Amino acid sequence: MSSTITSTTPAVTRRAQTRLGIALIAPLMILVTLFFVLPMCSAIYYSFVDFDGINPNPEFVGLDNYTRMFTDPEVWHALGNNAIWIVLGTAAPLAIGLVLALLLWNVKRGNMFYRLAFFLPYVLPGIAIGIVWGWIYDPVNGWLNKALQSIGLGHLTTGWLGEPNTALYAVLATAIWASTGFVLIIFLSALRNVDTEQIDASRLDGANAAQRLWHIILPQIMPVFLMVTTITLVGGFSVFDIIFIMTGGGPANATNVMGTYAYNSAFKVSDISYGTTLALLITALSVPCAVLLNRLQRRLSLQGTGA
Amino acid sequence: MSDITVSERDRLQLPEALNRPAATEENAASPRRKTALAGKHVLLIALALISLFPVILIISTALKTEADVRVDPFSLFSSFSLENITTAWTEGHFGEYLGNSLLLTVPSTLLVVVLSTMAGYTFARLPFRGRSVAFYLVVLGLLVPFFTYMIPLYFQLRGLALLDTLAGAILILTSTGVSFGTFFMRAFFSDLPTELEQAARVDGCSEWQIFLKVMLPLVGSGASALGVFTFLQNWNNFLVPLLYLPGGEFRPLTTGLYQFTGGRSIDVGPLAAGTLITILPVIVLFLVMQRQVASGFISGAVKG
Repeated sequence: MSSTITSTTPAVTRRAQTRLGIALIAPLMILVTLFFVLPMCSAIYYSFVDFDGINPNPEFVGLDNYTRMFTDPEVWHALGNNAIWIVLGTAAPLAIGLVLALLLWNVKRGNMFYRLAFFLPYVLPGIAIGIVWGWIYDPVNGWLNKALQSIGLGHLTTGWLGEPNTALYAVLATAIWASTGFVLIIFLSALRNVDTEQIDASRLDGANAAQRLWHIILPQIMPVFLMVTTITLVGGFSVFDIIFIMTGGGPANATNVMGTYAYNSAFKVSDISYGTTLALLITALSVPCAVLLNRLQRRLSLQGTGA
Repeated sequence: MSDITVSERDRLQLPEALNRPAATEENAASPRRKTALAGKHVLLIALALISLFPVILIISTALKTEADVRVDPFSLFSSFSLENITTAWTEGHFGEYLGNSLLLTVPSTLLVVVLSTMAGYTFARLPFRGRSVAFYLVVLGLLVPFFTYMIPLYFQLRGLALLDTLAGAILILTSTGVSFGTFFMRAFFSDLPTELEQAARVDGCSEWQIFLKVMLPLVGSGASALGVFTFLQNWNNFLVPLLYLPGGEFRPLTTGLYQFTGGRSIDVGPLAAGTLITILPVIVLFLVMQRQVASGFISGAVKG
């Protein structure tokens, strides 16, 4: 697109465009350089030295931070938690979001109310979400335990966030609650474009609901499905806020993910270099994943539209 | 590059379709279908209530009397009083925090919208040598999580004497938003027909005038969607004030709440009131500007 413009525009115009273009992106580039490129370079530098936050001339340690990282059992534990987070935190919102979207798809009355009700959690600040879910999980007064007792499942009650066995899943459930509305909205918008005639035709042909979903609806919303997968999956690598707020990585590191481990290493133990190296590992894992899935999605959406 | 623009454009149109009611159904009058539909509504209402329950719990707890909170903090709407709100507002400093949240969010949102509009126009319509390098940097800013460079950024700010200053936090909030904003606005400018600027050029408009007088007025809807989206993001931001405003002088609502939960004896009533003060602007903005919010978040999703 840009090449056609360039070839037909006279040199005077092109010079004027260059001048304006540079003027218009200059503030952005200064900001990006100062607050992204520069700290990014420092991050790489920090990972090769031993910086405690005070010493202005930290010692060069080569690959020490990296070798320490790969032999640190807590890294593998945290990565395992990230993996659980990524798998369940992607699959559950996708499944629930799809079911909700199919339920809502043909509902006219109250449609707006339902959409707002399901989407609202997604725009709330993480700190508010963490606080209120902490109340719901409260061992004594919490609604979850009360609800379990009232339906005769009293033996299942526990201190959800305080128990190493349940804490990660309790926080994860909160995250699923918060993100499902977003998935739903995206699916609903994709379902608008699904060919309803094809569905009616298949219904006449005797296809049941599951067959219609599998053979007609799902293929048509596949690109969007993949897009949502990309977002939730990539977000799973760098998850931090909600865990930091609800458990801080505890009890006894049970909910530690790479994000909380990096933060605690850097700011609680003042091991800045190690914390930064951990954060770099998150990037090294998530960026290629994002690029790959994005490529796949783009290819699929081009096929899907027949373009 | 053009295929990015096309798919981007498709997605930007999604939210509009969202707000249109479904075309099919509910016309079938058969009684069996009617019961099925009624069942669907019962199910949906139950699910919607589950979805809204935490918000209801915040409102209920915030509006109880202090005595009632002490006895039974989470029973719904068992008493009514504004004493938690006043306690949170004055003793809990949430009035102050609200002011700080505005001081951080309003300027950073305006900066994001202005800078992204300027840069978005350049990346869409003003080709020059070296532009693609700049664009790749912006895309990289989208891909790399803030997490990766937040620790060095802390020491960099300290070195620049911007740690614990409003200016420092505003600049960082702005820089975390501009990459997406630029991407977002670029899509809007790419959609405008080339004939427009050619006609303006024939009429003797300078490049600067074409941008300001011809193109800019046409991307108002995009800019407002970006504005609402960015406002919510910055209002909700927790990490930036946590890391870069550690002193507490400019503490916004999010870290104010966090501070409150770390207190010796957690006062559930005022905490609930503080939470309500934090989410109320979000809910109001969400309800008033739902179309912009949806379009912002849906295209926000595309950023990966």
